[in-house]
Amino acid sequence: MKNSIKTLVVIALTTIMALPSYGQSKWGHIGGDFGFNGMFYIPDSTIGAREVKEKVRANTWLNLNYTNGGFSAGVRYEFYSFPLIDFEDIGYKGQGLTNYYLDYKNEFIQVTAGTFYEQFGNGFTLRAYEDRQLGIDNSILGARVKVTPYKGITLKGVWGIERKNFDFDYLHRKDYVRGLDGEFSFGDFIPKLGEKGFVLTVGGSFVSKYEKSENDMFIDYPDPLADGIIYADKIPQNIATWAARLNFGYKGFRLEGEFAHKNNDPNNTNGYIYKTGNALLVTASYSMKGLGVEASFIRSDNMDFRSQRDISASTPLLGINYIPAVNRQYTYMLLGNYAYASQPNGQIGVQAQVNYKVPKNTKLGGKYGIDITVNYARFHDVEQKLVPDAAASNMQIGTEGYTSSFFKFGDNLLYQDVGIDFSHRFNNKNWKLDLAYNFITYNLTILQGHASPLFRGHNLMGKVTYKINNKHALKLEIDHLYAKEDDGSWLYALLEYSIAPHWFISVSDQWNYGNEDRDRRFHYYNIAAAFVIKSTRIALNFGKTKEGILCIGGVCRSVPASYGAGLSVTTSF
Amino acid sequence: MKKILILAIALLMCGQMAAQENNSSRIPTVDLKTLDGDAFSTKQMYTGEHPFIVSLWATWCMPCREELDAISLVYEDWVEEFGVTLYAVSIDDSRSASKVAPFVRAKGWDYVVLQDINSDFKRALNVVDVPFLCIFDKNGNMVWSHTSYAAGGEEEVYEVLKSLEK
Repeated sequence: MKNSIKTLVVIALTTIMALPSYGQSKWGHIGGDFGFNGMFYIPDSTIGAREVKEKVRANTWLNLNYTNGGFSAGVRYEFYSFPLIDFEDIGYKGQGLTNYYLDYKNEFIQVTAGTFYEQFGNGFTLRAYEDRQLGIDNSILGARVKVTPYKGITLKGVWGIERKNFDFDYLHRKDYVRGLDGEFSFGDFIPKLGEKGFVLTVGGSFVSKYEKSENDMFIDYPDPLADGIIYADKIPQNIATWAARLNFGYKGFRLEGEFAHKNNDPNNTNGYIYKTGNALLVTASYSMKGLGVEASFIRSDNMDFRSQRDISASTPLLGINYIPAVNRQYTYMLLGNYAYASQPNGQIGVQAQVNYKVPKNTKLGGKYGIDITVNYARFHDVEQKLVPDAAASNMQIGTEGYTSSFFKFGDNLLYQDVGIDFSHRFNNKNWKLDLAYNFITYNLTILQGHASPLFRGHNLMGKVTYKINNKHALKLEIDHLYAKEDDGSWLYALLEYSIAPHWFISVSDQWNYGNEDRDRRFHYYNIAAAFVIKSTRIALNFGKTKEGILCIGGVCRSVPASYGAGLSVTTSF
Repeated sequence: MKKILILAIALLMCGQMAAQENNSSRIPTVDLKTLDGDAFSTKQMYTGEHPFIVSLWATWCMPCREELDAISLVYEDWVEEFGVTLYAVSIDDSRSASKVAPFVRAKGWDYVVLQDINSDFKRALNVVDVPFLCIFDKNGNMVWSHTSYAAGGEEEVYEVLKSLEK
């Protein structure tokens, strides 16, 4: 049954898609992308790179999209049966048609049937998205309608089942998600507002998850006295969240805010407590030519929201919403090893940033000016006072858990970052220099789950780019992290030679020279080459990867140590 | 099932090749936001008079910033010579979306900067990674695209714009 449905879908879609492309362009257009990421693994017990039985592993996908006027359709096939080991570790293993959709859109309405991605506001109540590098794909299979009844009003409705890696047994799923979102832009109703430089948008969303609860839940704890039982009729089957948001702007000034609330949702990530959750994000910014200032406040408490209540917090699987980590993201190598991961179930903090440009054609700024960024971020956990029930039995399961005063910072510092960076192109425009200094404090115990004192690191990064001529350029990056905790100090250097627009060759080394254990002062070297032609990229690399965390957009997952040679081919067409 | 799939993919590949001879694609219609938070439909990029460039980037993407910095040095000349507009579409999500306006205005970039907060436009253009830059001719057909950035890569963009003049 399942297979024949799939077969039908494939035949129908490919016919729709393939036939017109043989014709003229009035029959529409086909585009897509293809990716292959493979690696040949070599075991190396010193750094913890384990033996991989198949030796070679790869992730492969093909995406095809057909558009013709307001109509579009698409399919994606993913082949991850023998995936890269870090994908296998998070259960992203299997193969199949993961995405297929039909979509029609005009000025007034958009209707989608099949798989889709969607976000309401900041994503506090709903964010279906994908990050192929992290192995996150929580697309929704179902239907979506977007309506614009009047310019400035957008209404959306969604219903569907979230993707759970390669488990396509949708007929037996006992959970689904439905949601509504509306946004009103006042500038479109009151043209005078816009003319005077005002922007005012308000929005709201409501999302509810249904998950059948048939069985009593027995929760094992290492201590048998603490085992808990929650009876099936006590488990909420419908869990609602709502959020309200505002965006106000006047000339260069902008104020944005969103508040979300979640009903009681006992689940694995919060220890099966009945507490409600909430989140608040407020951001104010001011910008003008040459200057930008931004400050944010975020608090989220018990906001981990998943399609299935037994999913553990250690995987990004089946997340319905998204609570961002609002600190600045760095692309420097060594700071990446201590990137802050958002804590939807308990974080409170601030982030502030100033971007300034020393003007061009001044004594200090030279011909091209100097870009300066100053940044500060600090996040704590939220205060937790056990409710009497929980305090009496010393376990939170099945109780309201804890209470927490809203604006109070918890006792545990999670992350702090103070930093400044400069970027300058010299009067001889072929030379460019980037310098950055950061002091970070990082709570390894809470953020990476291994007991350790607070990590404090001073990071200094310098990068010089020299354009030899129109096409040839040389880049040298040196990054130093001074620390006493965890693995101690690190030194990283990268030398890259590029011939625009086709060739890149680089060598790099990450050296843990400051490790207290002399036998663990490893070199993680890497040699890489890439060839790019238009939107096709072919890259080869050979080297070692350290065990650690990989973070993109504040979402992190652990990566195992590895050693070997990789080949990556990606193309868009 | 597998055979059908292979057949389907082969069929599509052939179709794709046939389609590519036209080398044309109208810009997909996606709703983006301006730096002030106003709605902006990608349809508005197409005016019928001049070519335009779409660059997908993010504040956390170093090569993206390098590329847009390099183009900013010659952008004025390009505008004068080709009447071209560059739409710098940021794919920063709600984590860093509010940092885009302060970042861009401090930089002093003169591009039309737009925000694609859940990567809908990125997906519609079938983009795998940023930076991704593509050029549309004045009829709204995508004539060239490129991924990644090496210093000097903007020269090729200039050459393509020049070839459109002919």
